[in-house]
Amino acid sequence: MAVLLPLRFRILHLMSTKDTGVTSAEIMQELGSDYGKEKQFKKKAMEGHLISMRALGLIEVETVNIDDYDIVLPDNRPVVITGSSAPNIIDPKTGEDRRATSSDIANIANLINELDGFDVFSISTLAQDAPKGQISVSRFYPALKNCKKPVRSNTPTIKDLEDVLELGAIIAGGKEAYKERPFINHHYCPVVSPLTMDVDSTDAVIYLTEKGLPVYGTIVPNAGMTSPMTMTGTLVLGNAEFLALSTLIQLIRPGAPMIYAVLSTVADLRTGNYAPGAVETGMLQMAHSQMARFYGVPSGGYIGLTNSQINDAQCGYETGINTTGALLAGSDMFNMGGLLGSLMAFDYSKAVIDNEIALMLKRMKRGMEFSEENLCLDLIHEVGPGGTYLDLKHTQKNMRKMAFYPKVATREMRKKWEASRSTAEERAFEQVNKIFENSVQKTFPAEIDEKIRSNFPGLVKGDMVW
Amino acid sequence: MSTQAIYDAIMEFEDDDVVEAVKEAIEAGVDPQIILNEGLIGAMDEVGRLFSIGDLYVPEMLMAANAMKAGMQVIKPYLKGDDGGKGLVVIGTVEGDLHDIGKNLVSMMMESAGFEVIDLGIDVPADKFIETAKTNNAGIICLSALLTTTMTTMGETVDAIKKSGLGVKTMVGGAPVTEEFAKEIGADGFAEDAGEAVVFARNLLAS
Repeated sequence: MAVLLPLRFRILHLMSTKDTGVTSAEIMQELGSDYGKEKQFKKKAMEGHLISMRALGLIEVETVNIDDYDIVLPDNRPVVITGSSAPNIIDPKTGEDRRATSSDIANIANLINELDGFDVFSISTLAQDAPKGQISVSRFYPALKNCKKPVRSNTPTIKDLEDVLELGAIIAGGKEAYKERPFINHHYCPVVSPLTMDVDSTDAVIYLTEKGLPVYGTIVPNAGMTSPMTMTGTLVLGNAEFLALSTLIQLIRPGAPMIYAVLSTVADLRTGNYAPGAVETGMLQMAHSQMARFYGVPSGGYIGLTNSQINDAQCGYETGINTTGALLAGSDMFNMGGLLGSLMAFDYSKAVIDNEIALMLKRMKRGMEFSEENLCLDLIHEVGPGGTYLDLKHTQKNMRKMAFYPKVATREMRKKWEASRSTAEERAFEQVNKIFENSVQKTFPAEIDEKIRSNFPGLVKGDMVW
Repeated sequence: MSTQAIYDAIMEFEDDDVVEAVKEAIEAGVDPQIILNEGLIGAMDEVGRLFSIGDLYVPEMLMAANAMKAGMQVIKPYLKGDDGGKGLVVIGTVEGDLHDIGKNLVSMMMESAGFEVIDLGIDVPADKFIETAKTNNAGIICLSALLTTTMTTMGETVDAIKKSGLGVKTMVGGAPVTEEFAKEIGADGFAEDAGEAVVFARNLLAS
């Protein structure tokens, strides 16, 4: 029996964790959080709930489409999710940046089906071709129609949210059946730092929590702009905002599952630009993960994003450094796939490379698999000095499961590589093309599709077009 | 008596020193127009130059703008006619969107460049933009959005402003907003950042 050695790195000293928690609680008790300027959290309501947060030992049950794709936190950690809601896409044929459409969403869904590193499909883009009044169903319909994995995203209004839930109920065969096994995970940014709650997003969180459906929020303080220009000041503020959101959710439905999702960043104060690819983003995610463990809540969120506008070295090192840091600090969930330019555009080759990074992170999480058998003392003795392990049954037995074999990264020698002189981006695109050559669109049974289309007249086709 | 002390105080981001230096210059009989142009606006032009070459960072630009505004409050009663006469701008974040950092930056930069700015804040419905522009005879309405999901509201707001029949121009901006999108929704102008917004607004009003 192998024992997994936990890979866990602490960025905060234990006392700092407690200090952060206490300071955040003080911020919430003294300032409260401004919900649409009028519905201020009352000091009284905060007390007790802040304390009880720690003891909840919460487990988030994620969404479900098909049995094989059930995702449960913390059991399935690390859960890797695509990045969501970019307005643009890098056209796979022309390489131009353009507005994304519902067909792009259908295509991306088919790609995500084939990329094993991704567990959940957060709808990567918006759909410019959405008919009036159907902004959200024009995203969720192609996603649900084409993707085998759980689908996640947000909606701008309660009306849109109700439409999406109706879509879910039709697919599931009724409201109760959907509630039994909700395959959509809702996500919002209900907190506008510092210490303010957005009305529409907060209303959506309240609505879904009341109904017992999966929902969580991401909190995004931006050091130097919406939070203090120190790492710990931003940590304390983001933590306080998580406590505010948790308090709200726990007041509505005590014991409701939570995910501690804070994407603290540091603004690039040379320009004021948003810098999710900054190394401090990774460091803050590490610290927030540690705070999440302190409260006993699964953690994660948007981590591993890049500021780069093309799929280049900057993309790789920004995604690589920050996700590795987060993984080592114990983050459970990574929203990291496929987006360029601070969440502004989806890129197919970036999604494929992020898939490879995801698989590497999962390999790292699996750890060293320590056991007496794996120490191989007898084998080392048997082969002795100067021998080889290459032709042994032991090697053959372990080689496919011990190592991760990348599809994008090249390990060729120079001469062989020179035949193609391909870059990682080009090899990623080869993989994309291969996937689409063999791709068979997954779709709903005809009667369900008819029902959806009659409920939402004029709805986009939602089919793959490659 | 020169305006050097005013200029220097702005470059050091010291609001109180700017106020004091402007008062001293007025008492010494320096022409208020020279105080404004050589002291206050002159310093802000240098701040803009230093920012564009990357020597100054955004917080420093904001602090300089605040110091300049403090000086403006003192000099305003002494200026003849309007306050620089560069036009009136109504600005706000569109309905459904609560983000305002970028919008505030544009607002401050426009003020420090001599525009009169009415900032309607966040979550502003179309009719409020129209009503304010009408009442104050505004030259430009600036719309901001951060969320990709509120960009559609931006289009609807531009539509409503056009339909209102006011001769006012519209400018849009915000992280997800592109020049292409601005054209698509029929806005008169788009700016990538706060500095560009000022230049564009000047050109728009001159045209």
